[in-house]
Amino acid sequence: MMTAEPITLRKTLTDDTFFLNMGPQHPSTHGVLRLLLKLDGEYVRACEPVLGYSHRGHEHMAQNRTYLQFMPNPSRMDYLSGLLYNDAYCRAVEKACAIRVPERAEYIRAICCELNRISSHLLWFGSYVMDLGGITPFLYAFDDREDVLGILNEVSGSRLTYSYCCFGGVSRDLNDPFLQKLKAFIPKMRGRLKDYDTLVSKNIIFIKRTRDVGVIHADLARDYGLTGSTLRASGVSYDIRKKEPYGLYPEFDFEVPTRPEGDCLARYQVRLAEIEQSLRIVEQALARMPQGPICAENVPQYVTPEPGDYHFSYESARGQVGIYIVSDGSRIPYRMKWRTPSFCNLSILPVLLPGTLVADTIAILGSLDVVIPEIDR
Amino acid sequence: MCCGVSKDTAKLRPGKGRPNKIMNAQTAIEKRLIHRFGETLIGPADDSFKGFHVRLDLPKERIPELAQLLHEAGCFLEYVTAVDRNDHLELVYVFGTYGDPARIRAGVRVPKGETAPSISRVFPGADWHEREVFDFFGQVFSGHPDLKRILLPETADYHPLLKDFRAPARLNGMQGPERP
Amino acid sequence: MVALDQEKPPIQLARLTDILNLGRAHSLWPMSFGLACCAIEMMAAGASRFDLDRFGSNVFRASPRQADLMIVAGTISLKMAPTVVRLYEQMPGPKWVMAMGNCAIGGGPFTYEGQYAIVNGADKILPVDVYVPGCPPRPEALIQGLLELQDKLTRAGGSNVLRRFKRYGQAAAGKGSAE
Repeated sequence: MMTAEPITLRKTLTDDTFFLNMGPQHPSTHGVLRLLLKLDGEYVRACEPVLGYSHRGHEHMAQNRTYLQFMPNPSRMDYLSGLLYNDAYCRAVEKACAIRVPERAEYIRAICCELNRISSHLLWFGSYVMDLGGITPFLYAFDDREDVLGILNEVSGSRLTYSYCCFGGVSRDLNDPFLQKLKAFIPKMRGRLKDYDTLVSKNIIFIKRTRDVGVIHADLARDYGLTGSTLRASGVSYDIRKKEPYGLYPEFDFEVPTRPEGDCLARYQVRLAEIEQSLRIVEQALARMPQGPICAENVPQYVTPEPGDYHFSYESARGQVGIYIVSDGSRIPYRMKWRTPSFCNLSILPVLLPGTLVADTIAILGSLDVVIPEIDR
Repeated sequence: MCCGVSKDTAKLRPGKGRPNKIMNAQTAIEKRLIHRFGETLIGPADDSFKGFHVRLDLPKERIPELAQLLHEAGCFLEYVTAVDRNDHLELVYVFGTYGDPARIRAGVRVPKGETAPSISRVFPGADWHEREVFDFFGQVFSGHPDLKRILLPETADYHPLLKDFRAPARLNGMQGPERP
Repeated sequence: MVALDQEKPPIQLARLTDILNLGRAHSLWPMSFGLACCAIEMMAAGASRFDLDRFGSNVFRASPRQADLMIVAGTISLKMAPTVVRLYEQMPGPKWVMAMGNCAIGGGPFTYEGQYAIVNGADKILPVDVYVPGCPPRPEALIQGLLELQDKLTRAGGSNVLRRFKRYGQAAAGKGSAE
């Protein structure tokens, strides 16, 4: 079952290059990705990502499961934004079946999803700087992330993979420990963001390793269908929460951070700015949340959308998630396609890497913020 | 025009979301599509319910033409996928815009066994999408630079998302019953 | 009244393997081998809140040649299975395997009729020493699995030189008989 050597990278006698296999197991948090690098000394001449080492057959499972039975799967696709994917799937099915979510549930979803976004960005921040060599911010970021996971654990029972959102709302109401921890967390996180700024953002080594590295222009981004922070760091202000808003996002006052440079440093700055914006949304939602039911009533166990195909776009921590459901009127989807942002974001890597150093490979790959199981599904 | 590229750290208007500008981008693209493909257009879908602003059905030969037109109009490729309709495959191409939302869904009916033209010369990102469709459905795209499997092992001899696929026992899965 | 272990005398000469096992147990170096979601909980177990350093195990080695514990964290897909076996073979002995998470134990949530893509559990291709259930298991669960493995090591010679981990039921039974 060994994968064959790709013909495009066959070594010729006139070449003084060699192949380095950044194999499926390498000390990075991005998952099982294999990069075939053709190196000329320290310079990368060609790169071919080999995928599929984490393929678990989600789309095939979707064709063999009812809509409710498929609920645990979205979280496992992008486990760093598990609650965002859970929410996206619930909203897609609610849109297809015209289920109305009560207002309190929308606020709860907004709070929990933005917290999940913060935890995803924190993990990315810690692991990215660790990849570049700085081990300390990893520990601070994980400490903050544990706070967030503790808050979400209060109400959902899970730390990483959630099935907290259900069709029509959420499954449990917020409780006092949740609210207390959350109110203590927001000012603490703001203080920590200042610490990160001092520790990392102004660090000359970090800046030298990320400035002007892996520059993506807006046209190149469009050719490869990039979305998310990677795109916003190239100057394109595209956020589904603003363009095709869902839930209560039209009512929240938040910005979409963009940077024009398009290099790794810009992507880093965009993601850190997004943490602050998520905190703003959480504060506003906490202030305005009404009392009321947390789930729609009379949602059937077997939801059956009308025959036809539906699409729903959602902004996860990595970019635009697209859920395409083809229904034939039965309680099992006929086809469910997940358009995951990392799939497109990673496809730009063979274009970015040639001409860079091997050390820059890590910086560029990390800055794209990909999660391999959501590419492999 | 449709791209919505902002050259500075754009500050969007605070308060309510931006006013609904779906009609502008959508009608602009629609006009170009009707001008080129007129008779094959289905018509705009009801976005609030189904998620697509424009739907059209095309013969497979016109797909590169559509891709070229949408690329010039400033769209990006969201995904390419396929649906197994038992006697034929329906290829689904979905394009979007970075500016005001206008999602275009193009459906292409391809009998099983026939090849379809690749759009990876227009949208380089389609490279991986088409490889995935080949991997899961066996659809061959002519003109693709390197059509090989992307997610399954290279030596795999099955296409799992086809409706008549049953996992053989050697794959460590269990034989499945008919769809309930 | 402290319940003494009546099977063995409290003072005995430790054999060389017991001492070595004691050293090995308290310096298990895992190979950083996260496959899927459980990898994140493994990282969290190594991070600031649930420090693995206090067990001597936070020295994650990237190279299998330098590691002696393989924590299979995540689903093993069919494409990945030969790589997993190869990595295990590259580890020098003595080596141990921990199956972390439901996917590594028996396929997890991805086991269903018609599954074509995964290996239903790490023990189909590797000899597993400890199973840590959960989806994903909390970092505390991973630490308990590590302690179980340490316990397994230090009892390898039949004597528990540094008895510090009472199993469930033993403590209660001990208390009951004392009272």
